[in-house]
Amino acid sequence: MTTSDPLSGHTRSAIDIRCLRVDYGEFTAVDDFTLSVPQGEIFGLVGPNGAGKTSLFKVITSLMEPTYGEVLLDGVDVFEDTESVRRIIGYMPDLAPVPTDLRVWEFLDFHAAAYGLGSGAQRRSRVEECLAEVDLTPQRNSWCKALSRGQTQRAVLAKTMLHRPRVLILDEPASGLDPLARRDLRNALRALTRAGATVFVSSHILGELAEMCSSLCVMNCGQLLASGTADQVRHQLGNTGRTIVASLLGRHEEAVAWLTGQSWVHDPRMNGGHVLFGFDGGDDAQANLMESLIGNGFRLRAFEEKRSSFEEILVEVAETNRQT
Amino acid sequence: MNAPTPPAIRHSAWNIWLNPIFRRYCQSRLRIRDLGITLLLTILVAGFLFAMATSFGARRSMDAVDAARNGIIPLLVLQALILFVLGTAQVAGGMTAERDEGVIDYQRLIPMSPLAKVMGYLFGLPVREYVLFLATMPLSIWCLWQGRVTWNIWLPIYGVLFSSTLLYHLTGLITGTVVRNRRWAFLTSIALVFSLYTVIPQMANFGLVFFKYLTITPVFTECLPGILPKTAGSALKAAQHLLPTVKFFNLDFSEAVFTLFSQSGLALTFVVMLCRKWRRQESHLLGKLWATGFFLWIQILLLGNAIPLIEPGSLFPSQGFAWMSRIVPDWAPAKSEAVLMSGIYGLVTLGLLWVLSGIITASGDHQLKGWRRVRKQGLSAMPTLADAATGFFFTATMAVAGALGWYWFTRALVESSWFPGHRAPWHILGVFLAVLLAAGLGFQALLERKGGRATGLAVILVGVFPLMAGAVLGMISERLYPIGAWLVGMSPLSMPFFAAATILSISELPATLARAVPRSFCFWLAVWCVSTPWLGWKLWEKRSTLAARCHPDAPNQPSIPPSKTKSAGPVRVTF
Repeated sequence: MTTSDPLSGHTRSAIDIRCLRVDYGEFTAVDDFTLSVPQGEIFGLVGPNGAGKTSLFKVITSLMEPTYGEVLLDGVDVFEDTESVRRIIGYMPDLAPVPTDLRVWEFLDFHAAAYGLGSGAQRRSRVEECLAEVDLTPQRNSWCKALSRGQTQRAVLAKTMLHRPRVLILDEPASGLDPLARRDLRNALRALTRAGATVFVSSHILGELAEMCSSLCVMNCGQLLASGTADQVRHQLGNTGRTIVASLLGRHEEAVAWLTGQSWVHDPRMNGGHVLFGFDGGDDAQANLMESLIGNGFRLRAFEEKRSSFEEILVEVAETNRQT
Repeated sequence: MNAPTPPAIRHSAWNIWLNPIFRRYCQSRLRIRDLGITLLLTILVAGFLFAMATSFGARRSMDAVDAARNGIIPLLVLQALILFVLGTAQVAGGMTAERDEGVIDYQRLIPMSPLAKVMGYLFGLPVREYVLFLATMPLSIWCLWQGRVTWNIWLPIYGVLFSSTLLYHLTGLITGTVVRNRRWAFLTSIALVFSLYTVIPQMANFGLVFFKYLTITPVFTECLPGILPKTAGSALKAAQHLLPTVKFFNLDFSEAVFTLFSQSGLALTFVVMLCRKWRRQESHLLGKLWATGFFLWIQILLLGNAIPLIEPGSLFPSQGFAWMSRIVPDWAPAKSEAVLMSGIYGLVTLGLLWVLSGIITASGDHQLKGWRRVRKQGLSAMPTLADAATGFFFTATMAVAGALGWYWFTRALVESSWFPGHRAPWHILGVFLAVLLAAGLGFQALLERKGGRATGLAVILVGVFPLMAGAVLGMISERLYPIGAWLVGMSPLSMPFFAAATILSISELPATLARAVPRSFCFWLAVWCVSTPWLGWKLWEKRSTLAARCHPDAPNQPSIPPSKTKSAGPVRVTF
């Protein structure tokens, strides 16, 4: 759900990062990073530990000044008009800390007051609304320090949503959440984007991120490696090939020998009761291959295409970078 | 999420009751369960002190007024303990806890001005201590009322108690903001408060009168006769007529007004430091201009308070002693006293110079970052006032101002009517300039070039160790005094004293040191005068290398794409 600037006709970005660089002494955490996050999207940021994700988020949220570069949130320069920017963002840091001396509703009420969400009654109503959204109403009177990890994450998410931010920056929001809570988080984020907010989220649970996000980007060693939809990212990372698993009723060795001579096929091998091989051809070629396999008398029980998971791609990228 | 983001509201920094941070701490620190026991204990102690003091008065057959006055001072001490010690520790510890828990980032992000945040923490963190203080007030009010203490007595006392509390709490807030470890923050704040408001004010006894106005002591001493039982109060009041009033150059002030004036200057500087840290976590505590201005302001206050007291003789420590003991009717200051006072002035000036130049000196990381940003913007030089710019020239400015102040003070002492026939010629200013420029710039150049650790090591090896070794040698035998003097002379800390002892005509060194001290001073000053330009040269080399390394055309430089429009953030300069 991107919006266009009626004057220029260009798509307006919720987050615009240009030539960003962050240094810690001699170490460069973010290096010449340029990225646009369209409005109304759930945009994922993927990268191994130390990739520079948290530094990037800290700069976007105005918590850290970069070495150089520019960050615009909804067209507002983060470092020129910091106070305005702080009104439109909601930030949930990694590990989601909470104050130990406040109850859940007090924690939220303090932030509601700080963001100027009206009178006491209005604030309380908004606090209850957010607590309900993250399913934390029963814990409203609990001490923040007594919450479980998942409940803490949800309390901080509620705090982040309080002032209805136009841009949400969530650093590892799903860590510590059980599957049910993750599903609820996913739904909550989708609801936010439906209402026009933009969510920029990082996670190590990559599969889930791919499922949740409309677009994502991959970052490693401070640099942007790829960005776009999940398929585009796969393509940019050079991982377009597929692995095929053929489950046969016997004659496995013969099948491997037969496959070795076929075009588009590489690296056929046996794996338990299956035959695995790489395949670089298109969908038609794959259908023809299945037909030929059956035509040659092989009794095929199943024929399954397996793509590399994001985890595998990232591990590969990280390993390659480490070696170089 | 269907509703739009609410319109911007501004939290006024001065409307403390509506400050969300203040209210948040009212909520957490004033819970009946936690407050109850502390409150009970405080009321118990206050009641005990009150009952003991008034009963003692009644037993000694004092009238009702005197008996009531007996309770005022014990209660004041308790109130000062609550606000100064407990409050300051709570402020420093609470601030560090915020960072420890990681929630400080939330507070950074809330749309409040830095000043509003500072005010919220300043009054919010110690809110329980304020409540405990208020709980003891009914007893104090009763004592003041029954003791018929007039408003012009209790108002200055409580006014300065409050202003001192704010100053101490601001000190705690700064410590909590800067020191990372919670336990260290608590200890450092107590140590800082103790040294700033207990140790340093002792300098007032050696000519630096201004420092005593950072405490409640002058006002308390002035108002003491009014809160003591009548007989003791009258005697003290008669004795107080002998004490000088506060003078600032040719102006006369009451103790309370001048204390508030002095404290407000320091408090303002502390608030500026905190606001800078809230605005940008990485920024220096003070900007270069503010630090230089603060240094000048302290110099003016030191001189303004001290110089008018030289002719009456009240500035000299021995007069205080003679007045108290009444054993020397024809008192006159000793020449050595004036030499020592000049040395102390120089040392304090040098210390302040080091502290402020330490604050404005950029670390290696900051310099690198600054140069990369400058290059990205296509500038050829670093803006002079940027945090990443060199602090060398500002340190030099402060050193020159300090030398002028030191010379003015010394000249007023030497050329006073107490030492007829003595003069302080202009070449003394040259020597003072050499001392402060060599020691101040040497420290700054080393700090900027090598960083805190190397400078700390140098301070220990060159500044502290020779002093200790020289002192030990001096203790072993009188014959070792000259060697001790040569060793001590190496330390920049000894240079102000050695300078005064060497070049002032009133100086009367003992025979054992008469040759060693001037020679040691001249030799080590010459060494420092050679070393400092060399350190400055090396610093310039380092900065040039850094600047060249960050140049887009430099080899091994990560490619920095040219900015199309405004792609690099501007170099922000804050004061």
